[in-house]
Amino acid sequence: MKKSGVALLCLFFAASLGIALCAGRYPIGIQGVARLLFAWTGVAPPSEETRLIFWNIRLPRIIMSFVVGCGISIAGAVFQALFRNPLAAPDILGVTAGSCFGAALAIMYFTTAALAVQGSAFVFGTLAVTLAYLLASRSWDRSAAVLVISGIVVSAFFQAGLSILMYIANPYDQLAQIVFWIMGSFHTASWAKAQTTLPLVVAGSVLLMIFSWRLNVMTQHEEDALSLGIDIFRWRCFYVTVSTLIVAASVAAVGTIAWVGLIMPHIARYLAGTDHRRLIPATAFLGGTFLLLMDTIARSVLASEIPISIITSIIGAPFLGYLVMNRRYLGVERELGN
Amino acid sequence: MSLAIETLSAGYGATPVLHDITLKVEEGGICALMGRNGSGKTTLLRCINAILKPKHGGVKAFGQEVSRLKRVEIARLISLVPQSSSTAFPFTCREMILMGAAARVRAWSAPSRKEVATALEVLHEVGIEGLANRPFNQLSGGERQLVMLARALFQNTPIMLLDEPNAHLDFSNQHRMMEIMRAVVKRRGATALISLHDPNLTLHYCDHVAMLKKGRLVAHGPTGAVMEEKTLREVLGENIRTETTLGGHTVVTPRGPSVAVHKLKILSRR
Repeated sequence: MKKSGVALLCLFFAASLGIALCAGRYPIGIQGVARLLFAWTGVAPPSEETRLIFWNIRLPRIIMSFVVGCGISIAGAVFQALFRNPLAAPDILGVTAGSCFGAALAIMYFTTAALAVQGSAFVFGTLAVTLAYLLASRSWDRSAAVLVISGIVVSAFFQAGLSILMYIANPYDQLAQIVFWIMGSFHTASWAKAQTTLPLVVAGSVLLMIFSWRLNVMTQHEEDALSLGIDIFRWRCFYVTVSTLIVAASVAAVGTIAWVGLIMPHIARYLAGTDHRRLIPATAFLGGTFLLLMDTIARSVLASEIPISIITSIIGAPFLGYLVMNRRYLGVERELGN
Repeated sequence: MSLAIETLSAGYGATPVLHDITLKVEEGGICALMGRNGSGKTTLLRCINAILKPKHGGVKAFGQEVSRLKRVEIARLISLVPQSSSTAFPFTCREMILMGAAARVRAWSAPSRKEVATALEVLHEVGIEGLANRPFNQLSGGERQLVMLARALFQNTPIMLLDEPNAHLDFSNQHRMMEIMRAVVKRRGATALISLHDPNLTLHYCDHVAMLKKGRLVAHGPTGAVMEEKTLREVLGENIRTETTLGGHTVVTPRGPSVAVHKLKILSRR
């Protein structure tokens, strides 16, 4: 990556982190943040209330939004590579649809306890992808296209299930809960939630960073990758499994987060190039920083919390439009021989 | 024997393509694979590379049954230059060629500096060093084929399969590619199986030739012995004749239209 690109990323991260630490419904000045961070040196913290808000509410939320942003952006880049499709998103195999169904099911029939909803969403998210994978493996055609179609089938199935649940849900409490869950938010972030989510997301992201060069070969046509010595079917299973665990853990904890996994890899490709060894870390850093900033906006612009997907869509969708106008960055194939 | 194909039959679904092919390819030489469109050349190359499972028979590379080997092991023995290629993302040619090291690089690792240096050398030897940092999917078909040749050379295998490598190349580059293959075969002692449509390239550069017709092997042997007018007409089409030039080369030329062109109805349509 160009040095200017790295510098730009670091600057973006530092600025976002600074804003995220200070801003919120309970603003803490830079001085206050500094006094909180350096309390161990003997500086007196601003007040007990500020200290509690900072350490128990704001900090876990900041860490979660950054790590979840890293995770789903990496998963987006991996799915785009596996399906040789610049428009693939992390939910292409149905993980989001499955998770939403799981969450709605738990909210309506079991309990609204956060951990139970999270667990149900995680189980159904991974179940959806497993179904898509099994469905695709029944076909004699082992190409990635079949897997994408299976993902669409499974997504449609779980979306229908979700619609049924929402149709019969009690409109006075359950429906609102489901809708707010689907739109996604970090407002429930806590150290307890971070403990259940982050180990899986961090471990998966690190694993994908380690096995990143091989993704270059995975973007080649099946026959080419096979003759280069990569057992593409076995490795596809590996990458899909790890990415799915990351996305399912993220979505289960904070609900759906639109656009981030689709768009961050594109900006990262512009900054760091196509080689996945540089692209994956760049995507992670960029995605984490972006979601951190978006969450800061979500919790501090209005008096009430804005669902995170609304913000990421408002900023993400026009950006994708811009990318489509400049096909160069999408890496869309030009006609042969021109 | 570097490559031995034994009583091989193969096809797609219920459609048979190859019937009972037995072919031994001599080590350290270029063998041309000739036949008309749809005669099964690509299918045969797919079977050799264990991408398509044969219905019957098998392929042995250096005495080992190819279909029993792992992909990595096959990739250390056999490389392939495909008929055409494209990528969904704008990889540079340098990155494309480096993928040829996949069978040597550990899964959690990436090509070493030494590998990168070798890749650039190969780029230079194929004569495309100017393309190193260009995005692969912005190149012309011919340039892409040279990059894919460089990748196969970088893969550095004792057996090389080339599927119509000349299809998009200009006249000069067609000969350049064949000359590179001759040098590789001579210096590395490699074996190359190249599917070709141009009989003159076969005559000029290949040691052996195998002729396919409707999925059957109809002729096989040293180029000089097989490339006779009678065999060529039988396999490649009636409108072919051979001539000997003043310099003593045999050349293949068309004998005139194979269909009565003046009777074609499309010509009288307005």
